[in-house]
Amino acid sequence: MKKNKAMIFWFSLPSLLCLLIMFVYPVCRTVLMSFFKVESVTAGLSDWGFYGIGNYSKIFGSQTFRTAMGNMLLIWLVGGVITLVLAMLMAVVITSGIRGKKFFRAAIYMPNIISAVALATMWIQYIFNYDYGLLNEMVKVFGGDKIKWLGSDMKFWSMVAAFIFGSVGYYMLIYISGIEGIPLDFFEAATLDGAGKVKQFTHITLPLLKGVIKTSITFWSINATTFFLWTKMFSPIDTEEATIVPVVYLYDTVFGGKGIVTRDAGAGAAVGVVLTVIIIIVYVITQKLFKSGDLEY
Amino acid sequence: MKKKKIFSLLMASALCLSVLAGCGSEPAGSSQSGSTQPSNTQSGGSQAEASGTTQGGGGKQYEGVELTMWSMWTSAEPQAQVIQEAAAAFEEQTGAKVNIEWKGRDINQVLSASLEAKDKFDIFEDDYQRIANVYAEYTYDLTDMAKAVDYDSFSYPCLNNQVIAWTGNLNSIVEQPQVGGVFYDKDAFEKAGVTAEPKTWKEFLDVCQKLKDSGVGPIAQDGAYCDFAFYHQLVRHLGEDKITELALNGGWSGTEAETAAQEIIDLINAGYFVDGAPDEFPSSENKIGFGMAAMIVCANYVTAEVNGNTGTEVNWGLFNYPAVENGAENTAAYAGANSLAITSYSENAQAAFDFIMLLTTGEFDQKMADTAKQIPADNRNTAPAILNGTVETLLAAEVPMTWCAGLHANDDLKTSFKSMCVELFEGKYASGADFCKALDALY
Repeated sequence: MKKNKAMIFWFSLPSLLCLLIMFVYPVCRTVLMSFFKVESVTAGLSDWGFYGIGNYSKIFGSQTFRTAMGNMLLIWLVGGVITLVLAMLMAVVITSGIRGKKFFRAAIYMPNIISAVALATMWIQYIFNYDYGLLNEMVKVFGGDKIKWLGSDMKFWSMVAAFIFGSVGYYMLIYISGIEGIPLDFFEAATLDGAGKVKQFTHITLPLLKGVIKTSITFWSINATTFFLWTKMFSPIDTEEATIVPVVYLYDTVFGGKGIVTRDAGAGAAVGVVLTVIIIIVYVITQKLFKSGDLEY
Repeated sequence: MKKKKIFSLLMASALCLSVLAGCGSEPAGSSQSGSTQPSNTQSGGSQAEASGTTQGGGGKQYEGVELTMWSMWTSAEPQAQVIQEAAAAFEEQTGAKVNIEWKGRDINQVLSASLEAKDKFDIFEDDYQRIANVYAEYTYDLTDMAKAVDYDSFSYPCLNNQVIAWTGNLNSIVEQPQVGGVFYDKDAFEKAGVTAEPKTWKEFLDVCQKLKDSGVGPIAQDGAYCDFAFYHQLVRHLGEDKITELALNGGWSGTEAETAAQEIIDLINAGYFVDGAPDEFPSSENKIGFGMAAMIVCANYVTAEVNGNTGTEVNWGLFNYPAVENGAENTAAYAGANSLAITSYSENAQAAFDFIMLLTTGEFDQKMADTAKQIPADNRNTAPAILNGTVETLLAAEVPMTWCAGLHANDDLKTSFKSMCVELFEGKYASGADFCKALDALY
């Protein structure tokens, strides 16, 4: 038994080392860096100057960072509600025994297998295009005036709409697997007892999907806080206020943007720490709100 | 049991080694200090040309030397093809092998870390402003080598002087110069009866009216470049130093910034922007290719972009942004560059410099200009037809205007400035005074 323990230790050592070097060390270094004035991410410790909570004061005092946080919050809340509700709706419809289930499941999931860059380009250059875009063609059919979908007023929501389109299928699949895991007996018994589809959904499906919903919320929170590519696609030359999110702010702060040569890895680290804390808080809250294990099947 | 233990130890060691091998970086050569002197300090660029001759022992000049270049292009781009050809020619002439690693546009994400770690590479490409302001500590001082080949005589002094002003020495060699201004479709001008390029704001307005009367949208404007376009107007009225001061401290109201903004609003009200402007990049600039618009304020790459996007060959022309009445800075033009630098710890700096000279002068520079449709780095070469006038504009420029540098001086507000510039071109402000008031409200 003792020798077995030694063997377990030696076999786990590489993984443990990997974890320490590639995960724990960068995390610790980032947290530490957020309290120092550091210009370059890879600067040696001798180039670090203690800055206390200076980096945190800087980012929370920054109007751009506050705008970025506001945008992220809207993506998380509004985008999250729409995406998860749509995904749930589609999952319920698809698992309800409709014809062509496989086709609809594949069609709705399709945006997830297309590169996000291609997807964003399609939305920007075709669907939202002012002159010949799909939406403005539809507006014209109804006799309306062309709309600037990517003007400064609408750009953020256009971006969120495109992002939702690309995300729904993923969460729908998660919900489908959850719903298919619920024994059919429950629904049959409920049907015999006279419960309609709506009642079955609210009294059986939803309560038994608590764990899945919790997981989706955590995944969505991670997606919203690490939102990056869509912003880059919707503001291709340089960062714009309408689309900025904290990760893009972090990127610009650490690497500089077009024509920007100042870099502040310390402030970037502080942004990273704040985002991590947000994800942890959301995770804890969802754990509290959706206590799993109270229902077994 | 003993065998089992040995086996487990071996397995664990193998795993550890493979992980460490993957994570490790190559040592930086024999770790020479940044002040390493070139092995040969004689006449730089001409060496490459003349280096087909053999040296003392009968071998070629750089026989056995290996150079590594980190390129900002990808292997599929036309620039890459020319660099490959230049590398092959350099090896043929001098015996030095040039290994090229295609890092793409995101090279700036890895350069800092790699330079700090003294990764083994000799030459790298990036924006010259970044090379001068971010990587200067890790770049080789090329001043003497450049002097030895009389670099100033065949390059663009305004760009060289700008680098020296930033860093105190010449630490990069221009590979892809850029120039900004008003790019226009000569055929549209001719059709509208415009015979001369406008020099003043009044003349510019006349040209806009003539173009509008001829049925073409005078100015194309993409949202992505609104800050760049408005920056020209601001620079004419205020100069870059004043813009920097205002960007950092506020106080826009009551300054000439109000006039600058009002002039943009007047352009909108007069209907001088093409329908849809400011549009999503590159929709508006493409309208020049489709014959719907005539002019755009941008840098020279817009010409290749429009031709490529629309499949047309626009008859391009360029003029400097018009001068305004009582302007503070009426001649400055945007100029920038993607440049090549040598790492301060390179063991073969002279060979690297010679390769750079081969690439950025003469035959290969001309080839680069022709295939990538860019301004030649060697001013003795000829710009492709779509960039007619750009070499002359760059040579005439005394002080280059930087990319919105005044507005970018305020890191924190630069995205707000940009969004407000978009709103200005969207016609969201009733007057220049309103715009400046909104700018001041940011502080």
